[in-house]
Order: sequence, then C-alpha cells, then structure tokens
Amino acid sequence: MRRLIVAAVALVALVALAAFAGRTDSASAKPSEPQQAGGSLVGTGATFPFPLISKWIPAVENALGIKITYTATGSGAGIAQITARTVDFGASDAPLTPDQLNACRGCVVIPWALAGMSVMYNLPGLSKRVVLSGPVLANIYLGNITTWNASAIRALNPGVSLPNTRISVVYRSDGSGSTYAFTDYLSAVSPQWKSRVGKGTSVNFPAGQGARGSSGVAGVVKSTEGALTYADAAYAIQNKISFALVKNRAGGNALPGIRGVTKALCDVPDKVTNLAQIKIVDPPAKCGKQAYPISTFTYVVVPTSSGDKAATLRRFIYWAVTAGQAPGLTKGTFFVKLPTNVNAFIYREIKRIQAGS
Amino acid sequence: MSQLTQADPYDITVKSNGLRRRRIVEKVFGLAAVGSALLACGILVVVLGTLVFKGFSALSVDFFTKPRPLFGEEGGIADALVGSALIVGMAMLMAIPLSVLVAIYISEYARPKVARSLKVVLDVLNGVPAIVVGIFVFGILVVGNGQSAVYGAFALAILMLPMVARSTQEILEVVPRSLRDASFALGVTKWRTTWNIVLPAAIGGILTGVVIAVARVAGETAPLLFTTSIAASVVSADVSQALPTLPVTIFIFSESPDPGEQAAAWAAALVLIAFVLAMNVLAKLFAGRKRRQLEGS
Amino acid sequence: MTTYEQSVAPEVETDLRRRSIRLGDILFKGIAIAASLVATILLVWIAWKVLDLAWPAIQDFGLSFIWTEAWDPVTRDFGALIFIYGTVVTSLIALVIAAPLSIAIALFLTEIAPRRLAAPIATMVELLAAIPSVVLGLWGILVFGPWVRDHLEPWIQATPLGVLPIFSGEPSSSGIFTAALVLTIMIIPITSAICRELFIRVPQELKDGALALGSTRWEAIRGVVFTYAAPGIVAAVLLGLGRAFGEAIAVNQTIGNRNAIPTSWFEPGDSLGSKIASEYVGATSVEQASSILYLAAILMVISLATNVIAQFIVVRFERARRAV
Repeated sequence: MRRLIVAAVALVALVALAAFAGRTDSASAKPSEPQQAGGSLVGTGATFPFPLISKWIPAVENALGIKITYTATGSGAGIAQITARTVDFGASDAPLTPDQLNACRGCVVIPWALAGMSVMYNLPGLSKRVVLSGPVLANIYLGNITTWNASAIRALNPGVSLPNTRISVVYRSDGSGSTYAFTDYLSAVSPQWKSRVGKGTSVNFPAGQGARGSSGVAGVVKSTEGALTYADAAYAIQNKISFALVKNRAGGNALPGIRGVTKALCDVPDKVTNLAQIKIVDPPAKCGKQAYPISTFTYVVVPTSSGDKAATLRRFIYWAVTAGQAPGLTKGTFFVKLPTNVNAFIYREIKRIQAGS
Repeated sequence: MSQLTQADPYDITVKSNGLRRRRIVEKVFGLAAVGSALLACGILVVVLGTLVFKGFSALSVDFFTKPRPLFGEEGGIADALVGSALIVGMAMLMAIPLSVLVAIYISEYARPKVARSLKVVLDVLNGVPAIVVGIFVFGILVVGNGQSAVYGAFALAILMLPMVARSTQEILEVVPRSLRDASFALGVTKWRTTWNIVLPAAIGGILTGVVIAVARVAGETAPLLFTTSIAASVVSADVSQALPTLPVTIFIFSESPDPGEQAAAWAAALVLIAFVLAMNVLAKLFAGRKRRQLEGS
Repeated sequence: MTTYEQSVAPEVETDLRRRSIRLGDILFKGIAIAASLVATILLVWIAWKVLDLAWPAIQDFGLSFIWTEAWDPVTRDFGALIFIYGTVVTSLIALVIAAPLSIAIALFLTEIAPRRLAAPIATMVELLAAIPSVVLGLWGILVFGPWVRDHLEPWIQATPLGVLPIFSGEPSSSGIFTAALVLTIMIIPITSAICRELFIRVPQELKDGALALGSTRWEAIRGVVFTYAAPGIVAAVLLGLGRAFGEAIAVNQTIGNRNAIPTSWFEPGDSLGSKIASEYVGATSVEQASSILYLAAILMVISLATNVIAQFIVVRFERARRAV
C-alpha cells in the first residue's frame, strides 16, 4: 500500500511539474516584474467579435504587455457575468436595456468593433449566391415560408433553379447579441415579426431549432442541407459556408463585406452622443445599393468602478479602438474600422472607467 | 404412439403441441436475450471505434502540448489536460477522507436504523443531477466571487462523496467480523482496530470504489459549466482562477463547424475515454487484489 | 483467569489507560459522526439552496408556471411545460426501450451465458456506463444523429407506425427521438447492472424446483426470477429513469434546443436539464434567470422524487425479504 501512495504522490508531482513548466512556456518573454505596466484582464461574452478579439489577444500582449483572457459564451452571458462582477469586462453585440444598466450598477457600454451579420445557408450545387430580403427572411423565421423554392424566394432569384428542399431554420439557443441584431432587423422590416416575436438577445423563435454560439449555428448549417442561420461573416468565410446577398432599402443586393458595412454607416450623425444614434440595421435608401442591411456594432461593457483593473482596462480599450482597428490587423476577419463619428463618444466613455469605490 | 396432436396426455415420450409452442417461446426469448447483449456490446464497439477512427488522426505531440486555439488557429488540449488533472486531484482530496469517514461511521459505529437512514441519504445524494449540483455550487460560491478551479473541484467532490462512501461502506461490511473480534480480544481500541486492521484489509475494495468514482467524475461537464468554464486558453496551475477542462473543451468543440475542431473534439474524447478505461482496468486490478487478500486471510 | 486478565495493570495505570482509550475512541467516533452530519446537511442544503434560488420566480409565477406552455424572454412570459414535456417524453421513451433490453441483458448474463463468456460481456456493458455523457453527445451530434435522420427515421416512417403523428414530419438529426435514443444508451448499463445483482441472488432451489415441475427455462425465469425480483426490477427501472431525467449535457447536444412542444418526436424540442445548460449563464433579465432556476428546482424535485420512491421500494423489499 505504501508503494501505491508513493506512486500517487509521484504522479501528482509530475502533473504539477508539467503545469508549471507549461506555464513558463506559454507565458511570452515578458519581465516578471513589469516596470512598464503589463497586467491581465479576463473577459467573456459575444461570439460575434471572437474572430477579431482572437487577433487582438497576441497583438495587445506584444504592444502593451497586457494578457487578455476571453471566452466566447454569448452576449447574454457577457452581460450577466460582468453584472455579477465575475470578470473584468463583458462583450455584447446588444446594447444594455435600462433594466440591465440598472442591474449593472454603473457600467459603460463602448462600441469597439463593427461588422456584418451574414445569412448563411447550405444549398449545394447552386451556381450563384442566393438573394434574400428582409420580409422574406422574416417570413422564413416566422415559419410562413418553408421550402427553398417558394415563390417569394424565386422572385428574388430569377434564373436560379432553387430546389424543393425544406428550409431548416437555425437560431441561437443562448443569450446572443447576434440574435439581437438579427431580430432588430426583422422587427424593422416586418410588422408581423415585430408584434409576434420582437427583438432581444433571447426571443421565442416560432420555427426551427437552436444551437449554441456562432460556432454552433454554423456547425448545424454546415451539416444540414437546406439549413439557414445568421452569424458573423468571419464564421462563414472561415468555414467555407455560403452566405446570401440581402436586398436593402435602396433595392440593391448587398454583401456583408467591408464596403457593405461601411456604406450602412451613412446615416450615423457626425458626432455621436449616445448609443441610440448608432443603430445601423436596415439603413435608409440614401445609403446606396451596396449598404448591407444587417450590420451591427459590438460593445464592451465595463464597470465605472473597476478597482485596480481600471487603468489596464482603459489602456486595452483605447488600444482596441485605435491600433486594434488597423486594416493590417483585422485583415480576414471582415471587421470594419470604426468610423470617426463615434470617437468622441468612445473616449468620453473610456474616461469614465475609474478605480472608484 | 407417434401422432403429435390429441396424444395421450400422460404419455411423456410424445411431444405435444403445447410443449413445442413453449419451446419455441423459450428459444425466442433466449435469442432476444442474446441479441440484447450483442446490441449493447455492439453499441460500445461502434462508439469506441468511431472515437479511435476519427480521433486518432488528430493526435500529435502538438495536440498534447499546445493550449486551446483562438479563432481560426490550430491548437491542442494541453491546458485542458492540466486543468482537469488539477481539478480532479483536488476533488479527490476533498471527497475521499470525508467519504471514508462516513463509511466507517455507517459500518462500524452506527446503530442499524441510523445506518440505514444514512445509506438512504447517500443514495439520494447520488441521484441529484450533476447540473443541479452545478447550480448549487454556483449559488453558494461563484456568485460574487467569480469562477475558480477550486469551486469546480468542490462540485465534483459533492458528486464523488456518495459514490465513494457507499462503495467503501459495502467493502467494510464484507471484512470478516473475526478480524475485529480478534483485535478487540487483544485489547486494541476500537479506533485503532478500524484504522490499522479493518481499513488495510479493505483497501483493495476502497481503491476500486475510488478509482471508479474518479473515472465517473473526470467526464462530468455540467457542474464545471457553472464553476470553471470562463478560463484562459493557457496552461496554468493557478487554481484560484477558472481552468480549462477536458469535458468542457469537448463540449465546446463538439458543436463547431470547423473540421479541425471536430477532429480535436474526437481526439480529446479519445484521451478522456482512454483515461476512464485505464481507471476501470485499475479498479479491476484492485478488486482482484482485495479478493486475494480476503481469501488468503 | 486468562493471561489477558492477569496482564491488566494495577488500578492507577488501568484508569490512565482507560481514559486515553476513551479519548481516542471518542475523537474518532466524533469525527466519523461529524462527517456523516456533513453528508446529510449537504443534501438538505442543496435542496434548500436550489429552492431558495428559485423562490423569486415561484413567488412571481406561482405553481401555474409548471403547466404554462411559453418561453418568451421579450414579453417575460415563462413556463415550464415545454421542458417538462421534453424531459418526461425523452426519458420515458428511453425507459420503454431500455428496460426490456436491460432485463434481457441481465438474464443473458446470469442464466444463459457460460461463466467464461459472462465476465467479459458484463465488463463491456459496464464500460458503456463509463462513457462520459459529453462524449456520447459528441457521437450523437456528429455520427448517430445523421444516421438516425438518414436511416432510422425514414425506416420508421416506412412502417405502419409512420402514420402516427408522433412519427410524422421531416426526419431530423436533432430532436426528441435522437435524444431519447442517446438516453437509452445511458440507462441500459445502470438498469442491467442492478437487475444482474438481483437475478444472481434468486435462490437456485426455487429455479430448480420450477424446472423439476416441468417448466421450460423461460417459464422458470418468468415465474420465479421475475416474481422474486419484481420490486427490485421496479427500483432499478426507476433509478434508470431518475438518471435520464437528470441528464443535461448529452441531451443538450442532441435535442435541438427549440422553445416549443413538438408534435412529432422527430422534431427538435428541449428538456429541463438541457435548457438550464443552454441559458443559465446568459440569462438577460432577472425574470429569465429566476425562471431558469425555477426549472432547476422542478428538475431537482422530479429526480429526487423518483429516487426516493426507488429507495422506498428497496427498503420495503428488504424488509419483506427479511420477514420471509
């Protein structure tokens, strides 16, 4: 028996050794006593910006020595966890409701990235990209349109032979800012959707099935013929899933690329003073035929009293909205550089992050 | 008398229709039993086979030494392995001494009524769903404090407690009374008897129970979702923070569209199953040792 | 006078020895009692805490929450019926399939298989229990679900069963049926292990007696083994059911996560455990968070009740057995 105990202790020691050895390996060569401040931050939230945040993490460590930990759990979780102060920052594609702001007890909501919500589908064998429109999407998600060769869809896609496949509608089962942006759009284009379902990070979808995370919904679409869902464009491109052209108010069919999203910003006031002014779903016709109708900002949520993390948070967010927007860094993620209209607003909000009490 | 129907009912040398029908029924049910056993074994083979077939290709040195990847990159399970090892290790430290003490009380000290009630308490505790335990630990520890590996270990310890306690108690009860009586007759105190005589005699069975409980708990995902799921993708031994774990990593990868992440999920599942199988083999070895010891004594 | 009594020390030393003996014993027994109290308090605390966490929702929605069929975070209209349906239906389907299979496997291992074959097959069935639920769920999403959608469900629809509304609609890789089948795989080892223990304990002379009276092996089993072990089989089945009720992860991966009671079992739905796993970390309003905790309380009550009933049957069974 004694031998067993010795063996067990040896095993535990081995694991501990491996752990410590691993940690020194993974920690980059930064000084153990930082005279230029390093620091570390833990955050959680939206899956939508995860592709961009993944690029930020190594870059900000190189630039500022700040180690960022980010787990993509969904905007709902991001809001909930920062409200419960279990993390240093939360990320959400949905702005906080008045109730949530109250519960958060003094949180700032800062837009720090911007991209288009692609509508992904799985229809093998089609030569062209499918064109969809807001009202058609609303009817699909309401369960009124059930097959791909329905007349409403065929009307948008002349000359394309659409199959008789059933449309498998997929939505986010977790609290999701992507759901907020998408349902915001559907509420804007479909009165029936607005009254029956509404918008939110979690809504009662009348039809289809759910999956967790942008990754999850992409996974279902990739493996199910005829499936349809909404997620950040980077997920579609990374996983080689087709995404649709969406008809905008100007009558053009737009793509969720950099140009499409940039055009959607045309109605944002020159100097933004509050978040309600940066709603960019369903942009007006004056934005042109290339404006992508389902574009969304994504936000970082930080308490105004952040204790000893305040300085690090300010530095990180400032970096994210400036150097973090550089096209060289964001290449491949299809996130668009933040427009200068929001700068004054952002800087003002960053200053509100204090050590506080 | 070679006619089959309307035969003399008292003639036992002739098969009647009733008997033939009964024999057929027996054959059918026999086949059903064999078929069921084959089905169960078949499912096991299919699941394990799929794991090996799909996961083997993703196994590599990189897989075991790199932490979880960021979006669009390659990575591995090094962080999850270390996290799981630490959390399961801590859960064992929290659960085993307590469970053994409870088992000792039930088998050595408690009155029959109290013993029976305690057994029921343990069995009911065993039946509490793992996700409810996760919510419980979230409610009492994580709220206000944040996640941490220690809280995850605590949740796993709650799951281990009834398993180890019940199996230990059953083993202790099998240790022959004569051993204890002889010890008392020599003037040894009760606690020394339990500690130095009974426990060592039962150690094989106790270890069997422990190892089986560890195997069960190493694969639990639900309690970890609430206590240690928001973790850095780096190999770390800082148990005051949340650490990545193998089951949660598999859970996240399992829903991904990326074939690379799916292959990683299979490989991670293969590693987990290999661990569980190794534990089960270990348990059988301990059980064999216990049997030899008790038969020898 | 034995050697022992003669070797007892004189009065003073005896008192000292007795006092240290008592101290050691009292301490040890005290620690053991404390440990047992901790275990008991833990159970009570878990039950109390989960109810306490759910209390705001219980006060808000009342008991009608249990039969309200709604889950709308926008209008703050929540109800548990959708998820109770999912939990109960998937578990019952799993039970209906798993119970006869488990009993058959246990019979095979105890009555039919030769000794040398029984041990490895029993090990294989135990190993089925050792597969972690997340791994079974992974297999369910990527392999089993598509197979069910492409082969099993169309086959069922081709049989006369296909006219039933519960088997109607398009086959789907995630849904009530797929989740139920995964649950079946999880229940079988538990139920068959318990049944095997029960069948082994049936006294051989009862079986021999039946055979001597001219019954076939199956009739002997049916008449003797089942009758003898009936309460135990019921308890085993109930324990399997309790396990199915509580399973959250594998179900979450295979049930489709849809907020509605499906008409067809091939369609996606959702269950209590699965919904809690999906949404708890990300609940967006206080009402939603506490509704999910209400779901957790309901789940806890359902599985505790099933477990307690199973324990009760076992206790009665033991008492009756000892009385015989």
